[in-house]
Amino acid sequence: MATATRFLRRLPRSLKLPPTLLRSNVTRVLSSFAHKTNEPFESRIRHDSSIIIRSFSSQGPAPIDYSSILQEDEFHRLANVTINNLLEKIENEVLTLKLGSLGTYVMNKQTPNRQIWMSSPVSGPSRFDWDRDANAWIYRRTEAKLHELLEEELENLCGEPIQLS
Amino acid sequence: MMIRQAAKKALGITSRQSTPCSVGIFRSYHENVIDHYDNPRNVGSFDKNDPTVGTGLVGAPACGDVMKLQIKVDEKTGQIIDARFKTFGCGSAIASSSVATEWVKGKAMEEVLTIKNTEIAKHLSLPPVKLHCSMLAEDAIKAAVKDYKEKRVKTNGA
Repeated sequence: MATATRFLRRLPRSLKLPPTLLRSNVTRVLSSFAHKTNEPFESRIRHDSSIIIRSFSSQGPAPIDYSSILQEDEFHRLANVTINNLLEKIENEVLTLKLGSLGTYVMNKQTPNRQIWMSSPVSGPSRFDWDRDANAWIYRRTEAKLHELLEEELENLCGEPIQLS
Repeated sequence: MMIRQAAKKALGITSRQSTPCSVGIFRSYHENVIDHYDNPRNVGSFDKNDPTVGTGLVGAPACGDVMKLQIKVDEKTGQIIDARFKTFGCGSAIASSSVATEWVKGKAMEEVLTIKNTEIAKHLSLPPVKLHCSMLAEDAIKAAVKDYKEKRVKTNGA
């Protein structure tokens, strides 16, 4: 909660959000995401905040104050998390990532096995189990972690480093 | 047509819609997959108590895929002389296990352990969402070989 309000305070000052409006929106958006269990808390907060940004900007064109705008790398991190989460919702818990000629990733939940299944154009199929000690999703055959494997493969495929956790 | 459908049901071959099978992508099966579905090779069972038979059973009904792959091994040479499969699952799973039975015939046990799911997937042009089927087929081969070896150890040890 504190993280969210701290983040919102750093929004472009030109948006001029009244403090009471900020607080009430944060509670409303946070409670709607209370059901998510697998994500770390930080990414959940960032997701909520970026939704708030979009809903306020629809009130009309606001002059952009470039001196206090989001730093680009932070923007990329937030946007990536948001887009991934949105994709997951839209496609009924199956995430499809099409990279054109580079291939397609498909990720889905396999509830009977309590696993996340991934199909990668680089490493083929893999199945991740939640490891409580490591606090990560791990593919037992290779001891690879889901987030690290994705980051490594995407960096090699797209030529740019990416942070997914 | 009716007989074929009844036969498919009897053999436990049905097409199911369950994740990751139903992703809503409009793509048809590759002709190799359709071929294996229409003209299944090596469907059937061996007697699992036969000492020359190794049985690999992989997958789970709840996941939408179960494969039983059996190999008959020549005890003297260690070569696989025959294979049978029965699969419950999507067309890609059926085709993957069918290809697996074709590829293990006439090969040594150590050699079939090197069959990779990527080769099966490439042969059938499986889309990304069906790569798991080919991996299950690879697991079925390994499970069948493992079962045969364990049975031999038991009979030799006893």
